[in-house]
Order: sequence, then structure tokens, then C-alpha cells
Amino acid sequence: MTKIILNGREVEVDPKKPLIAACHEHASHVPMYCYHPGLSPVGSCRICQVEVKQGEMPARVVVACRTPVAEGMIVNTEAPKAHEARRQCLEFLLKNHPLDCPICDKAGECDLQDYAFQENQGEGRSVEPRRKLEKRKPLGEVIVLDQERCILCSRCVRFFEEVTEKPQLTVAGLGSRSVIATFGDRPLTGNYQGNVADICPVGALTLQAFRFQARVWNLSKAPSTCGECSRGCAISVEVLRKGEIKRVRPRHEPEVNDWWMCDHGRFAFPRLNEGGRLAGALARGANGLEPCELEDALDEAADLFRVHGRPLVVASPWLTLEEGQRLLALGRALGSECLFVSPEPSPLADDFLHTGDPCPNRRGLTELGFTAAPAADVIARLAGAESALLIGERVAELVGEEALAALPAALRLVLVDTHPLDARAARLELGAPDASERTGTWLNVDGHRGALGIARSAPPGVPPLTRTLDELVRRVEAGAPTSPTPGRAR
Amino acid sequence: MSALPETLVREFEELVRHYPERRAALIPALHRCQEELGGWLTPETLEACAEFFRLEPVEVFGVASFYPMFKLRPVGKHLVSVCHNISCALRGAEEVLAEACRVTGCRPGGVSADGRFTVERVECQGACTAAPMLVLDGVFHENLGVPDVARVLGGAR
Amino acid sequence: MSPAPLKREVYLLSRIGTKDSHTLAAYRASGGYKALEKVLTGGFTPQQVTQLVKDSGLRGRGGAGFSTGLKWSFMPDPAKDPRPRYLAVNADESEPGTCKDRVLMEKDPHGLVEGILIACFAMRVRTAYVYVRGEYRASYARVAAAIAEARAAGLVGEKILGTDFACDIWMHQGAGAYICGEETGLMESLEGKRGHPRPKPPFPAGFGLWGQPTTVNNVETLANVPFILERGADWFKSLGTPKSPGNILIGISGHVARPGVYELPLGISARTVLEESAGGVWHGKKLKAWLPGGSSTGFLPGSAIDVAMDHDSIREAGSMLGTGAMVMLDETACTVRAMQVIARFYDHESCGQCSQCREGTQWLAQIFARLERGQGRMQDIELLSSLANGMAPGKTICALSDAAAIPTHAAVKHFRAEMEEHVRLGRCPLLAPGAPATHELEEAHA
Repeated sequence: MTKIILNGREVEVDPKKPLIAACHEHASHVPMYCYHPGLSPVGSCRICQVEVKQGEMPARVVVACRTPVAEGMIVNTEAPKAHEARRQCLEFLLKNHPLDCPICDKAGECDLQDYAFQENQGEGRSVEPRRKLEKRKPLGEVIVLDQERCILCSRCVRFFEEVTEKPQLTVAGLGSRSVIATFGDRPLTGNYQGNVADICPVGALTLQAFRFQARVWNLSKAPSTCGECSRGCAISVEVLRKGEIKRVRPRHEPEVNDWWMCDHGRFAFPRLNEGGRLAGALARGANGLEPCELEDALDEAADLFRVHGRPLVVASPWLTLEEGQRLLALGRALGSECLFVSPEPSPLADDFLHTGDPCPNRRGLTELGFTAAPAADVIARLAGAESALLIGERVAELVGEEALAALPAALRLVLVDTHPLDARAARLELGAPDASERTGTWLNVDGHRGALGIARSAPPGVPPLTRTLDELVRRVEAGAPTSPTPGRAR
Repeated sequence: MSALPETLVREFEELVRHYPERRAALIPALHRCQEELGGWLTPETLEACAEFFRLEPVEVFGVASFYPMFKLRPVGKHLVSVCHNISCALRGAEEVLAEACRVTGCRPGGVSADGRFTVERVECQGACTAAPMLVLDGVFHENLGVPDVARVLGGAR
Repeated sequence: MSPAPLKREVYLLSRIGTKDSHTLAAYRASGGYKALEKVLTGGFTPQQVTQLVKDSGLRGRGGAGFSTGLKWSFMPDPAKDPRPRYLAVNADESEPGTCKDRVLMEKDPHGLVEGILIACFAMRVRTAYVYVRGEYRASYARVAAAIAEARAAGLVGEKILGTDFACDIWMHQGAGAYICGEETGLMESLEGKRGHPRPKPPFPAGFGLWGQPTTVNNVETLANVPFILERGADWFKSLGTPKSPGNILIGISGHVARPGVYELPLGISARTVLEESAGGVWHGKKLKAWLPGGSSTGFLPGSAIDVAMDHDSIREAGSMLGTGAMVMLDETACTVRAMQVIARFYDHESCGQCSQCREGTQWLAQIFARLERGQGRMQDIELLSSLANGMAPGKTICALSDAAAIPTHAAVKHFRAEMEEHVRLGRCPLLAPGAPATHELEEAHA
């Protein structure tokens, strides 16, 4: 480690990283456009100016992203000359920039806005006409390009070159005629396009799925973990109003996904915004499945399991460790082995982030003692069972709703899931929260613990799954039937 | 996607041997492609070069688009480049340009209606002590007076 | 200041008088390749060659004027750094006003080849590339032919002149970008990429072509080398001035009677060049403004014509020697129009990486264009200075931003009154009222 003096404090910094990284790690946010810690530094935007003094040389203003740290270096990120240099840079960048803020999705999280305010670059002096370029050019289905807003930081070009290792974008032309472009009118391809909208400092590259959907300052953001594969990328789930998730973005997690996530995970959230949730509980009566009190449903479920012992217990692979532990306890109390349904591998597997395993918690459940079972096996075993408990978000979908609907009514199925299932085998159905509505932990493919966070409330009448499980365990362990007629109709 | 003609492939295989990395021959190769394959670099030509140099087409496009000598849009059969930089401007470059446009029926940067000519403004070509000048199909014509323009361009069929 | 008259001796252009001066036969007949022989068979070590060039005081002739021998000495010791290493010959000559390297390449290409070989020996380089600007077809053909002749004669390739010295020289073309004359832009272009200059450090001697030790030298610089080796450092220092020794190829163009490239000792008075070599300002006009060394150096007023053409004198006068390309404006020339042309050039040539240069060069060009058309405002003049201060010095990856800023500062300093006249009149004061603007055939940048 190298000792430098940063804004009057002596700090130890990593000599392998440029000065700007040292500044950021010690709470000094030097502005940046072309620099990104996940990409090679190019030193072209010239905004990351800081004042540096080394030995006997006079203090000078340098770009921090291309300055190596040196022992005894004195760094002042707040020097007036540094601020003036940044402000000048901003005036140049704003000269051609269309002031689209009122209609630009990036407003509120835009580095051009933020630094212009931070460095006090107010009114620019240019009276020249701004350049006219392509303003709403789809680059395929994920990204929209606005060439006028682009400040040519080239992060997007370097992302495809260095991170996905397949160049897709280039700076075309040169000088004041430079634009970002693909070859011809080819769309972007691959499962990682969304990342360029994250790293674009301005609103030049934006997501079609988020276009005009929300003002970012109206979003409430919850840190969580993606469940679309066993990588478990760290994410931020961002909700507008009435519980509508508007976007999901990656969070920086050096142990798992660095700054990136795949489009499959990024755009999985619309499923969570669909209605038709199972709110509360349903019990089968004379006229089919009808709403009932949750407490009664729990009582009936416990009775059902006691009478028709050793139900087949099948969990969703989306179950958390906390939920899994409780389900195992229930299984022990019922004398049942605990399975989790194991879906087919996904063809999206790649050598970057997507593991190809659609189970967010395979490793966690396996280590707890669950047994993985393909959907076909589960159906086969259900066909011969007296009773069954299918529990967890998406369990019905993963086992197969059609196959479940075909099972005999004699099965006595208890379902705990996010959506109701129209199946004659279902006796009781209890609502469960989805991944955006509960806390818990998943173990990713490498054993890293990924935390779920609550981004919005579960529908009314839907308790945390841990609570539902605690209630079932308590009733089963208590022993005596709580109702005179097991499975009585309401 | 059409491949490069065999003659060019052989030429380029020889060229790449001069460098420790294959890609270094790209710009000389693009010149040859432009000369041999219609006077401008079509998307197909760029793709064919990408394949030869084991690059993505977008990379070749990014390189080609940087250099003013590479034309990424169709040009006339004859390229007329008139320097408009300082030494030539001081000695009548604008009059030479205007005359070149009149003679060819071109607007600067455009293609003449009959497709025979493109007239373009260019920066300093290195003929400053023989200004003004124009370049016709790569050949310098220097010390031009306005009356010389028609004579020089008339030779282009 | 009345210095002793400078020694006049022509060597760089001493061989170009004959029709076949570019051939090996002619070159040999006039004593060519004797310096190479002396170096390879006369017991010189590479370090000795470098030291000799350092002692001679030869400064780069590409515009920066850095000590050539010192630059060569930056190449690492091959014992400590055995990686492949390169010489890149900068034949990209694109500085407006400059057309002197092409004289050497077209008329005396073997002189360049010999200089390359000696430089490669000194720096223990075995592969050199000659990066010729794409437009210089004649130069490219002549140098390529000279290399082919030299290769056939055992002067290029393996076992040169029967010694262990091996050196290959390959031709390479640019494609019309001025920024590829910047040494790191040149290297990027040579590698087959966009010509984006690289931040320095690292410097080419440590990280050059393909990341390996590289020196970039100008054509004229290398052409001096055989003469220095053959005739010695003292001889070289007998020409020119103590801090700027040797001869320089001065190109003089614009409003003069005899534009041309003239070989003259450094330190010669600009007035001597103008009046003796170039026949004075044409048509009996007076000198209003002039560039000493290409458009990047910035205008001096006509009154400064008595300055000596050497690095220090011109710097003291407020400009730079640059490439020694003198461009002369007579009293009928408009300096605002001249700056419009020059600013447009830098706008066209900026690679676009650095925010200040990409936007600033366009902004300067737009302001000068408005001033020239009579659509300028008084505050535009202050704005020009302020923008130029934002663009330079040393604020960007390379010096193109400085090259646009410096002439802007010079124009405001020396010709503010003419700018103000444009604003007051709403047109160029040198145009007759009602006359059309000087450039009607504009096109948008492609």
C-alpha cells in the first residue's frame, strides 16, 4: 500500500489503481464520465481534475484516472483550480448537449446534471446552433440511442469490448462529428445490453422498457438479489406507486456480479406486476375453492396432514434458507422427505454471469438437506400420494400447472404460492409473498449469501412465508385436531 | 456476405507478414479495397475486411469512418479534392473550387448528376509552395490558375 | 543584435539537382551510404552513434524541436528490456503550410533510408515503419522503390553490408488524418486503429507500437543523420546557432513572389528568407501577418519579420519555429478570414476524445466563421480568449487542443482591431461593400 495525503488526511491506497479510485474509496467523489472502475481508463473526458503536488514540483491539475498514486503525493480534490478546470470542461460538454431534461429518463440520476450543479456551471456562453443527430434510434429491442445527448465518454464501446468481449458499438467519425453507432443499422445482441444504459452517464443510452415510465426520484429502491438463475446478482428493485416495479438494476457486488447483470434477470420483473394474486386463503367447499380465513386454512392444513400422514413435500427452488429450515422442521414433524422442484437447465448459460440454472437457491436448499426432483418426477410421485404440500413462489408453475390440474381430486393438495391454481386436487391454497415482498437469504452457485429485500408490500392477507411455516409447524407439533371434521367445508 | 477477391486476399496475406499483429495491415488494406472495389468502402467490403482481419464489422467501420480518405458513401468515378487550407486559400483556392464545381456540375461534397465526379474540400495536402492545387484521382495538380481547372478535369473520362 | 553572418552550406538538398537523384546509382555516385558504411564497419557502437547525434545538437524537425539524440537515448537497454523495438518514421507531414518532407522523399529517398538504418543501428532496432500520409502517393512510391533497391543491394534486411546488423523497413500508409502526425496517434493508426493519441506517460520508448519500445522521428530529422555521422558533430554545429544547429528546410508560401522549399541555416533572419529566397511579398505589397512554422505556431505581425528563424528567438517573439513553414499574408489579406480557415482545420482534425478539444475546436471555428461573415459580436473576442484558455496549455491528451488555442491567442493579441472592425461593419473591412463573402460554397462536414 502507498501512503498519500488526500485532502489533508494521510491515507493508504492501492498502488495498482489510479488516483481517482483512491479518491473515491476515501469518500472524495471526484466527478467522472469516461472512467468507470469496471473498464480500462482512457482519460478522455477530462472531468476528473484534481490538484496534485509531488516533491519539489509545483502543484498541478491532472486527470485523476490516468495518474498513478505515488508515495507522499499530496492531493487536493477541492482545489479552486481543479474545480475551475472541471467547470470549464462542463461548459464545453454542455455546448452541444440538448437540454432534454424535461423529457429525459436520466433526469435525477444524470451525471451531467449532477456535476453541472456540483461545479456551478450555470449558463453556457455558446450562441452556436447545436448539432442535429439521431435522437430516438432503437438499437434493437433493449436500448434506445440518442446521439445528441451523448458526451462521447466511450464507456459503452469499452463495455462491449472488454466485459462481453464482443465489440458491438464504436465511435464513428471523428472530432465534433463523432457519434456512437453500431455497424449499419444492426441491433445490439446478447444478454447484457441493459448494462450500457446503467453506465451511460447521461440519457444517450436508455432502456426501452423504462422509457417515460417514471421519474427516478419517485422510485423507492430496495436492495435485493436476482432470482432468475443461481448467480444471484445483487440488484436494486425500484418501485413507483401502487407497488408497481418499474425497473431492476444491478448493484455493485465484487463477489458475484461486479457492476453487471444480464437482460434476462433485468427484465424479469413484469411477471411480478401481474395481477391475479392469491390474497389470503382458499378452501375447497361444495362450490369449489372459496375464500376462507387464513387461520382456518392453517388449521385444516394441519389436520389434513395429520390424518393423511406423510404428505409429499415439494418446495419451490425460490425458497429462502430461513423458509427452508422451517419447512424441514415441518417435514420432520410430518415424517416427510423434503424435495424441491428442479427445473430444466436454461440455454442462456454463458461464461459470464448466467449460470444456466434457473434455481436461485439450489445450493442453499441442497445444503439444508432438500432433494432436487425434476418436475416429471414430482408429478409422478404426486400421482401416487395421499396428500401433498407444494410450497413457495412459482412452485405450481415449475411443477406444471396443466399436469397439476390433471391430478385426481383424491390427492388432497395444499398449495402455498403467489397465484391460485385451478385444480381439482387442490384442497387448500394459501397466499405467499414473492421475491420482492419478503426478506430472506439465498445461496448462489458459489455459496455466496444473497439477501432478499422488501421492495413493496405483499397483497393484504399474505403473511411472510416464514410465518405461515411457523404456524403450520406449531399446529402439527401440537398434535390434537383443532376441528371436529377434518377438511370440513365452509 | 461477399468475400474479398482472391487477389486482394493474397496481397493482404503478404502485407500482414510485415507486422507482429494482423490488424496493423488494416488501413493499407482498406486503401486497396477502396481502389479495387468501386472507389468507396461498401458495407459488404467492410464486413469482408472484418472477416479477413478477424475483427467485428463494427470495429472496421469505426476505423474506416475516422479517416477522411476513406469514403463510406458512393463517390463519382473521379474524385476531385481541392485544398482549402491557408496557403491555398491565400492564393485562390476558393476560386479553384468554384471552377471545379462549375466544370463538373458538382456541389462540394456531392456527386455530379452524371456520376463522373465528386468534388470535395480537403485540408492541407502538402503542396503549399505550389498553391493552389487540386488532387484528381490521387494525382496532384499544382500551381493552378482558374483556367487550368477545366483543362485538368477535362482529361478525366 | 548583429550576429556574424551564418555559414551557408547546402547538404540536405545538395543531391536533388539531377533527374535521377532518387535512384541508388545516383545516390551512391554522390557519396551516399558512406556514413552507413562508416557506422557499421568503422568500429562504432550503437551508444557512440547516439552520443554523436546528441553532441551534434540535432533537434527534431517535425515541429516539436526535441533533442534527437536525447530521444534516442530514452530507448531502454536491450539487455534489460529484450522486447522487440521499433522505429516509426513520421512521414505524415500534414501541418498546414508544410511541404518539405515530400521534397526529401521524392527527390532523395535514399538519404532517408540511410538515416533510418543508422538510427536503427543506434537504437538497436531491427524493424522500422515509414508512415507516409495517404495523399503522398509520389513520396510513397519513391521511398518504396528506394527501399527495394537498397534491399537488393544488401543494405536493408539481413547482414547489412556483410555485418551482423539486420534491419527491415516497411512502408505504411495513413489515410488523411492530421492527428496521425502526433506520435501516439501515429502509433495507434499504424496498429490499424482509429488515430486516437494516447495519454503520456507512458512514453513511446517504454510503451510504443504494440506496447513495445518505439521511437518516432520525422523524415527531415533522419535525413540529417548520415551527414552528421559522416562529417561530425562539430561540422553540424558550425551551421545554424548554438542552440539550434544545422540547416532547416524552410517552406515559404502564401503572398510571396517565389514560394518554395529552401534549405537555410537555422538562425537565418526571416526577412532574409522572405526577400532573398522568396523574392519578397508579391505584387509590391506589404507584409501584414505571417506564420513562422505552420498554422499551429500562431501569427506574428509583419513588423516581426526580422526575427531569427531558430527555436529560441521565435519563442521569445511570441510564436514557435514548428516545422519552419512560413506562410505570408499581405495587406490585402484578412486575418479574420485566415483564422476562420485555420480554426476550421482544427475542428476538422480533432480526434474527438477530449471534451475541451472536441467541442472547443468546433466552437472556435464557429466564432471565427461568424466574425468573418460579419455576424460576430464584441464579446466574441473575449470569448475566443477564454475558450483558448480552457483548451490549453496541457489540459488534454495531446497538443492539438494547444495547436488550436495558440493561434487564437496570437490573433486576438495582434489583430484585435481587425476583429472589432468586422463586428462594427457587419462585414470584412477588406471587402468592397456589396462584394460577396469570400466563401459561398460551404458544405456541412461529412
